Amino acid sequence: MQQQTQQQPAAKPKKKIRVPRVINGVEQMVEIEVDEDSGPGWGPNDKHTLLNHRIPRVDGPLKASGTAKYTYDMRLPGMLYGRILRCPHAHARITSMNTDAASAIPGVKAIVKAPLEETRFSGAPVAAVAAITPEIADDAIHAIVVKYEILPHVVIPDESIKPGAPKVVPDPPDRKEDNLQQKAKAGDLQKVEAAFATADAIIEAEYRTARLHHSCLETHGMVVDYRGGETATVYASTQGTFTIPEESAKFLGLPQSAVTAVVQHMGGGFGSKFGIGTEGMFACRLSKETKSPVKLMLTRYDEFVMTGNRSASWQKIKAGVKKDGSLVAVQSRQYRLGGVGQGSQAGQPYIYRGGEFYREIYALHTNEDSSNAMRAPGHPQASFAIESLMDELAYKIQMDPVAFRKKNLLSPTYHRQLDRGAKEIGWSRRNAMAGGNPGPLKRGFGCAVGTWGGGGNNQCKVDVTVARDGSVVVAVGVQDLGTGTRTYTRAIVAEEFGLQVTDVTEQIGNSKLGAAVASGGSVTAASLSPSVKDAAIKARLLFAERVAPLLDNAKPEDIKFANGTVSANNKSITWKQASASLPAAGITSHGVWRSDLQATGVQGCCFAEVEVDVETGFIRPIKMVHIQNGGLPLNRLTMESQINGGMIQSLGMSLWEGRVIDGELGMPLNPHFGDYKLPGSLEMPELVPIIDDDDKREAVIGIAEPAVIPAVGAIANAVFNATGVRIRELPITPDKILMGLMNSGPISTAKV
Amino acid sequence: MSKSRDENGRMHDPSRRKFLKGVGIAGAGAAVADKLWTEAQAEEQGTSLKTVSGSVKISLDVNGKTQPVEVEPRTTLLNALRNHLEPAVTGPKLVCDMGTCGACTVLIDGQPAYSCLILAVDATNKKITTVEGLGSPEKPNAVQAAFVEHDALMCGFCTPGFVTSISAYLKKNPNPSLAEVREACKGNFCRCGTYPRVFEAALAAAKKSV
Repeated sequence: MQQQTQQQPAAKPKKKIRVPRVINGVEQMVEIEVDEDSGPGWGPNDKHTLLNHRIPRVDGPLKASGTAKYTYDMRLPGMLYGRILRCPHAHARITSMNTDAASAIPGVKAIVKAPLEETRFSGAPVAAVAAITPEIADDAIHAIVVKYEILPHVVIPDESIKPGAPKVVPDPPDRKEDNLQQKAKAGDLQKVEAAFATADAIIEAEYRTARLHHSCLETHGMVVDYRGGETATVYASTQGTFTIPEESAKFLGLPQSAVTAVVQHMGGGFGSKFGIGTEGMFACRLSKETKSPVKLMLTRYDEFVMTGNRSASWQKIKAGVKKDGSLVAVQSRQYRLGGVGQGSQAGQPYIYRGGEFYREIYALHTNEDSSNAMRAPGHPQASFAIESLMDELAYKIQMDPVAFRKKNLLSPTYHRQLDRGAKEIGWSRRNAMAGGNPGPLKRGFGCAVGTWGGGGNNQCKVDVTVARDGSVVVAVGVQDLGTGTRTYTRAIVAEEFGLQVTDVTEQIGNSKLGAAVASGGSVTAASLSPSVKDAAIKARLLFAERVAPLLDNAKPEDIKFANGTVSANNKSITWKQASASLPAAGITSHGVWRSDLQATGVQGCCFAEVEVDVETGFIRPIKMVHIQNGGLPLNRLTMESQINGGMIQSLGMSLWEGRVIDGELGMPLNPHFGDYKLPGSLEMPELVPIIDDDDKREAVIGIAEPAVIPAVGAIANAVFNATGVRIRELPITPDKILMGLMNSGPISTAKV
Repeated sequence: MSKSRDENGRMHDPSRRKFLKGVGIAGAGAAVADKLWTEAQAEEQGTSLKTVSGSVKISLDVNGKTQPVEVEPRTTLLNALRNHLEPAVTGPKLVCDMGTCGACTVLIDGQPAYSCLILAVDATNKKITTVEGLGSPEKPNAVQAAFVEHDALMCGFCTPGFVTSISAYLKKNPNPSLAEVREACKGNFCRCGTYPRVFEAALAAAKKSV
């Protein structure tokens, strides 16, 4: 064939950038190539008509009236209910399993076994059943007879670290390993040791944080709609629509393209819901075997023992400072306590960069279920330890903790935020002498700072369609975790066209729509909103080209869209009139990600006021203030809600939450809401979420995770300020306060 | 379990004997696999019954509509609403299934109750109102509207429970203090962290409906 000599359009100039990508809820940096030239931007943050305002969430009416359909609410004709049988022992080998009695129960349709013979934590799944009601499915798992050979276990880190402790995780083929494995080291030990010699004050301490449960109110699970045909629809409670089809297809024996994942509304994930999980695998296998739809939603007990957790931590840190407050050295040994998994922990000295540092990070295994990503994986743990330690140093050299932080954090953003926070909480009311207030009810104040990335990546593909009747649809497969994704997706498009939020409809949560990121690492807003904006700008220009003849052939980029009208050259027509000039099928634009519409790097700080009854040890949080920057706030209302949520979850970690496990039995003792204490309405302090509008970046950045980081240190430091007792192990419970008071000598409860 | 008097002065007696009697009336002819039930029936009827599993036909009055439904005697009201009624009533959520979180809250003759702790067979001859019965997306009640306006929901899974508890409380106390609102929803858990805005919404709804 003769070669065409047609001129190719010049290739757009490209640039390489590094962006976060989420793998199982944990972000990893990857290099990607993007177009160098950029289009129109967001414009100044204070010039928006919808964005950066308070937009009620568009799915609010559905949720408040109970009509929003979650995965758990799906009920299909002929649907079976799945249940999972679990091994109660911390470490065991399955020697036999008899399912005869279970199979004989009327209504039991299928039983499948887990592909494992050795279980390594209490709660490990061993089999699953499908039956016509959940009650019968429950009968069936109780009727399965499993015989176990019980093997030695260890669930207490201090025992697991000892030589000769029971082996938790099998060795890799090429080497022998202990339960303790070094994962990373950084810094210069010799320089650190030399620097300690120059310090005026040194503190060496151990900090521990408990294993936390995500406690998503909608448990993990899927409803698999497969009836023996060539396609399947999988309803999943997931943080990643596109993490579902491939794995589901594998267990259903279908091509990936034949499986559609649907996620219309989901009841919380907090980092724990990526991929189909063991429960999804069982649901697919049961559905395949019975050729019937199967709903397998975990029970609350299942959720506590199997869906992962925020890894516990054990950190040994030594730090030295000069009299003027400047850090000279920080040395740390950090144990990630991830059960049979790896756990996560940010490296110390976390965000404090002054002086020299040296750290070693280890994974220390126990016979507990694997940890999982949880809102800012590894960060609150590291933040609690270093923020407590910084506070201890500040008190030791008698320096104000706010001034101490300003001395060691160079960013003017932190300085500005710390000043603002101090004012909002009333830092001047703080008694500099810890435990120095009169009476048995002692008030105290504490603060801490935090940071996060929050940038996006190029995984979102968005379509915007305008029909000839003026209706507008924005479509992308992304999920909304309750973070307000639906709302800002609509608002971006509505603003571009000068319309109201109610004039646009969004279609999301379906793997047959445009590709989208999984929601982890706070990447969603910064990945999705640039693609939505790009699609909206392109749709506006396509629309403008069509309508130009009605407006004296104005240039498309000069045509204005505002207040439901389209205008140029002193002519103005309504949106409806303008839309009528579109072709019969309307117009559709395809948006891709633009790096210039987002950014990475946010800062925040938290201040807390608590009241501690030194006669009972009872701690009452009084007030919390969190100041957070984040470039362009897409929706102030939902951003504030996220900041509130971060503070509240962090408060739970500080004072109430933690798995309790029995060392002898190796079983969790509080796998339900009766004994795992979540923050409740009676404990709520006054919460003040503040958006730092001095951040003038015209770019979108995610803020879900930074909001959960600093409060834990702020609360712990406030408790110290109130009582003079430093609790280095979370949660800070009344017994620890009383023990601390007993050991620290008499404290005055006299009223002045 | 304690007895309590409902709004109409009727005694609500969730005791086992009363419940068993209820089953006998509602599910005449049906047999259930509960040894104690059998013993109680046998004692009252002077006969002995064989225990086999099975279901009972009852009717439930949900959101003003009385519907027949077939359930096992052990089926909770929550599971009857979600898994057996046609169409399914899924506003009340199954979250803890043991009366700790409040996501399954419904009104029984106007009183908030955890529907995961009530057997469906014990909910016959009572007016059951779920969050769907309080208002719709198009015609929300004052509490539902305030929840949306004040962003008192995020993932929304706890929301039906909070809306139901607060709606019932505001009927009882139309002008509550913040402390009373906190108390009114202490039986409801939220994980996303909506509490401060739930309080705001409740107080705003109270102002509007007064």
